[in-house]
Amino acid sequence: MRAWWPSLRPMLIALGIALAIGAALMLISGSNPLQAYGQIIVGSLGPNGWAATLSLAIPVIGCALAVSLPLRAGLINLGGEGQLVGGGITAVVVGTYFADLPFPLSLILAIGAAALVGAVIGFVPAIMENKLGVPLLISSLLLSYPIVAVTSFLVRFVLLDKGTGLPQTETLPAAFQMPQFGKVTGALFVLIVIIAVVIVIDRMLPAGFEIRMTGLNRKFSGYSGVAVSRMTLWVMAAGGMIAGVTGALVVTAFPFRFVDGALITPAYVWTGLLAAMLARANPVGAVVAAVFFSALQVGGAAMERETFVPRELSSILQAVIIIVLAGAIALNARKKQKVA
Amino acid sequence: MTEIFDLALLESVMRALTPVLLAALGGLLCEKAGVFNIGLEGFMLVGCFAAVAGSWFGGDAWIGVITAVIAGMLMAAILSFASVTLGADAIIVGIALNLLAVGLTSFLVRTVLGAQGTFQDPALDGLPIFLSQSPLTYLSWALVPIFVVFLRRTVWGFRLQGVGESPSAARSLGVNTKRYQHAAVLASGALCGLAGAQLALGNVVLFSENMTAGRGWVAVVVVMLGQAAPIGTLVAALLFAVTEAVGFRLQGLGLPSQFTTAAPYVITLAALVLVSVRRRTLTVRRARGTNSPAPSGGGATPPVPTDPATRATVSQGENHVS
Amino acid sequence: MTRPLNGGVTAGRPQSAAPGATTVEMRGISKWYSNGVMANDHVDLVLNPGEIHALVGENGAGKSTLMSILCGLEEPTDGEIRLDGQTVSFSSPVSASEAGIGMVHQEFKLFPSLTVAENVAFRAEPTRLGMFLSRREARERVRELADRYRLGVDPNAKVGQLSVGMLQRVEILKALHRDAQVLILDEPTAVLTPQEVDDLFAVLRELRDAGRTIVVVTHKLREVMAFSDRITVLRDGRSIATLTTSETNPAEVAHHMTGRDVDLDGRYNAGSPAGVALRVDGLFVQNELGVMVVSDANFSVRHGEIVGIAGVAGSGQTELIESIAGLGGHSSGVVELDGTDIHQLSAAERRRKGIAYIPEDRRGVGSAVTASVSDNLAMGFHRRAPLRKGWRLDRAAMKRHSADIIEAFGIRVSHAKVEAGTLSGGNLQKVIVGREMSHDSAVLLVDQPTRGVDIGAIENIHGRLRAYRDRGHAIVLTSAELSELFALADRILVMYGGRVVAEYPRADATEAKIGLAMAGITQQTLTGSEETT
Repeated sequence: MRAWWPSLRPMLIALGIALAIGAALMLISGSNPLQAYGQIIVGSLGPNGWAATLSLAIPVIGCALAVSLPLRAGLINLGGEGQLVGGGITAVVVGTYFADLPFPLSLILAIGAAALVGAVIGFVPAIMENKLGVPLLISSLLLSYPIVAVTSFLVRFVLLDKGTGLPQTETLPAAFQMPQFGKVTGALFVLIVIIAVVIVIDRMLPAGFEIRMTGLNRKFSGYSGVAVSRMTLWVMAAGGMIAGVTGALVVTAFPFRFVDGALITPAYVWTGLLAAMLARANPVGAVVAAVFFSALQVGGAAMERETFVPRELSSILQAVIIIVLAGAIALNARKKQKVA
Repeated sequence: MTEIFDLALLESVMRALTPVLLAALGGLLCEKAGVFNIGLEGFMLVGCFAAVAGSWFGGDAWIGVITAVIAGMLMAAILSFASVTLGADAIIVGIALNLLAVGLTSFLVRTVLGAQGTFQDPALDGLPIFLSQSPLTYLSWALVPIFVVFLRRTVWGFRLQGVGESPSAARSLGVNTKRYQHAAVLASGALCGLAGAQLALGNVVLFSENMTAGRGWVAVVVVMLGQAAPIGTLVAALLFAVTEAVGFRLQGLGLPSQFTTAAPYVITLAALVLVSVRRRTLTVRRARGTNSPAPSGGGATPPVPTDPATRATVSQGENHVS
Repeated sequence: MTRPLNGGVTAGRPQSAAPGATTVEMRGISKWYSNGVMANDHVDLVLNPGEIHALVGENGAGKSTLMSILCGLEEPTDGEIRLDGQTVSFSSPVSASEAGIGMVHQEFKLFPSLTVAENVAFRAEPTRLGMFLSRREARERVRELADRYRLGVDPNAKVGQLSVGMLQRVEILKALHRDAQVLILDEPTAVLTPQEVDDLFAVLRELRDAGRTIVVVTHKLREVMAFSDRITVLRDGRSIATLTTSETNPAEVAHHMTGRDVDLDGRYNAGSPAGVALRVDGLFVQNELGVMVVSDANFSVRHGEIVGIAGVAGSGQTELIESIAGLGGHSSGVVELDGTDIHQLSAAERRRKGIAYIPEDRRGVGSAVTASVSDNLAMGFHRRAPLRKGWRLDRAAMKRHSADIIEAFGIRVSHAKVEAGTLSGGNLQKVIVGREMSHDSAVLLVDQPTRGVDIGAIENIHGRLRAYRDRGHAIVLTSAELSELFALADRILVMYGGRVVAEYPRADATEAKIGLAMAGITQQTLTGSEETT
């Protein structure tokens, strides 16, 4: 508890300031902030809300972990969209061309292929930075554009479900649809496995210790015998892999097909990125932050229905939290320096 | 071929060029001052909205331009306060600002303009057009030589570059480095505001959610490609603009839009790869050429790499989040 | 406070001195830091116009603090500074510079991509129309100054391509361009070859003869005796004596410096080496830019032996050590550890085979300052028992591990979870020394182990290095301080321009021989390598 407090305090400050700014925005646009915030809480965690929060949280947690693993090593993976979409379309392609596969094998293959494609997409910017000196931050981002474009082309021209008139693929065969266990989707179990693996790597494995030390000081890590550029490849591939699997989880859930833009418009990737930043790459924190931001998004939609305050308020709050947090952390570090 | 290349194409190249060039010039100033500004995208998007809102409520496109400049500077002020005054990580703040811009403009387009997604109205005043281009296009052209003179000839430009190259050296001589960095970031906000105004009141006359569509990121890369020199930046921005304009044209000829819209980003990335590879081999060759035999005396200090691509890698590599 | 002062100084100038000259008096200067350290304790220092004044003292005696106060970097807790009798206070280096006091720091503060003239003129630029930089005027001014004081610097040269000696002159030009009457040089000879040192002092004499006051901060006695007019000795933050150079001798100065009649070399005791531990044969190293930084290095280190590497900064010592550790640029040649070639192995594999390394840059390379002391101590041990238990890290073992090292090496820290960056320089160095020695590796590489460390910690670290050697480890040591090499090394190699140019057993080594070799002049280069075996 005592160890948590110093890292939690700037986050609470950031949250407070963000809420105040949000309230100011609402007052200016003539709404009642207390009512709106109340609706966010009721809408996201109330009896009608928590299921929606959970179903949004699944992809957001996936994307948060996809960012947090590289971020732990000091690398910013902005390529989440390409990795997510690449994984999603791969799962659909597997479902389309291996439609006869029996049930567990079908999903294992679809998710496995999505993982592989996601990993490759994450790997490319890493190898470009290592071998060619192209900044990973930029290349990972720019790489998403052609991947999203090619995917969109596949959906609209190659895999199109001509019957609906919408830009979407045909419904996946039943064997490729993620089963429900009562009210709970199977995707949750896949996600729990991913969360567990990431946490084990981070907290228990020597490799996780190395990743953390690399994030704190790259040169120190290399000096101590860690092959830092090889680690860059691994964490970026692992991040891409998680994003790819997440993409597969989205398309194998209802409506069991790839709808063009459906992985981009809800901004899973960017919400996840902000969650990972809020948690400062701590995987447990990233999961919590992802759930928090998902609740904020779902609650935002409820708020919009009830109070006419646009749901984008949630995105504003998220971004403001990160900006204030970055400032607060910097301020803390300077205070510490002065004392020392 | 004649279907593709004609005067109209040239005009659309110029239209595509203006916003990217204006934003990239802003990024260039920040690069010179030693601030890695990846918030250009967000500044520009807020500029788009403010331009449309200003023009709508003010009834004049120029009021929109002024509003856009002010809004861009307000966004920039957040980056400059957080990263220069407080010392926060400019990359994290920049990314968050880009996302803030998306949320904020979508929020405001609904609360202020009462539209969902896209705001368009025949009564919305667009920028006047002279010889098929908006005044901001001519301004952006004029800015290139002005930047050359400013950086090369004026005392402020000279000091600005010193601030970026070695802040500690500049500080030891009594230069207020933070003031230069604040000024550069704020100027980039103003330029991105102009870029946004051009995009929303010049290229088209409307606002739609996320209408910058990555142009600010392209501007970041353009600064790297142009090695933070005004002429180089112009050439790199032109590369993007030509791809975009040709892409539009090819789309008109039946090529799927998915490929033509992605093409500029692919070309930009490819150029970045080529330039990085080339620069790498050049640095090695240059170093070998001058210092090949064992250094005599105290030994020559190897030239410090000052090009932004290398520096960006460094700042990115050293960036740790905790 | 300081701005109107400039005019006042010019008006009220003493008659005796040359025009423009300034008398500086520092009276009763004290400086406490918030952590309780008293860096200066009622120090008095008087500088006369037209003299070269040496400010001497051991590491930590308070020289740097005193000069930081004089040049406006720090404010004194107590005491006053008078220029020509008028009390002044400097809020910043700029206000000191405006009052005619210029400082040449040990670390140069220059812009590598700019020319000499641009560097010199920065923030004191000649302009046209109030806003346009006049590069020509800047060039002419620099050329004129360089000619007048025979500095031999080309105003058009790119600073990034100049040698260290030239960079120092650019710094001097910066002060002269700002019309400095008092010029402070902090350890100016540390990075220079003996030839460059002579050239520097020729320049300083010119400046003195033109009526300027020169202060040289140093701890190198021989140089002090050779060039200074007067000497002020500091010890433990107090001014001990001010001497006229012509009326004193090195022994007296040394006595004042140390407060006792010991010489550091005396602490050396011989090791008893046996069996080659590390052998380097024909090692070439290229840095990232493709520059050959180590050429054809051949030497060996035995168990129970400390081999010191001397050389002017940038002669390839650090690159050599890095390369042996498996880091740094591309290399070719043979590196043998106990008879097996490890040249192809990665840094991690070399560490496993038995190479430990204490790097020069403690905060940038040797530690993660934002990680806990415990994590810093665990790094490198985390992939083997007992810290690794099966497939996972054993937190309890990590805790024991750090507690053991903290205890054994006397690291002063309240708790192992404290951030390493909050430790003092000496304490942080103990963390690194403790970690690397705990590896119990056959070979320990040590780069500048005591730079910036207080005297107490220096003695502690020296004692540990000797004891470590006596337990049969082989140590390779570099140091910018010849005295450190004499205090520790059983054999001394000298590097120059990336080559090992000389090798002396401790008994044959003299400061004179090594000083010459550091400049690339050796008996061995002329007559062959009789002493090299």
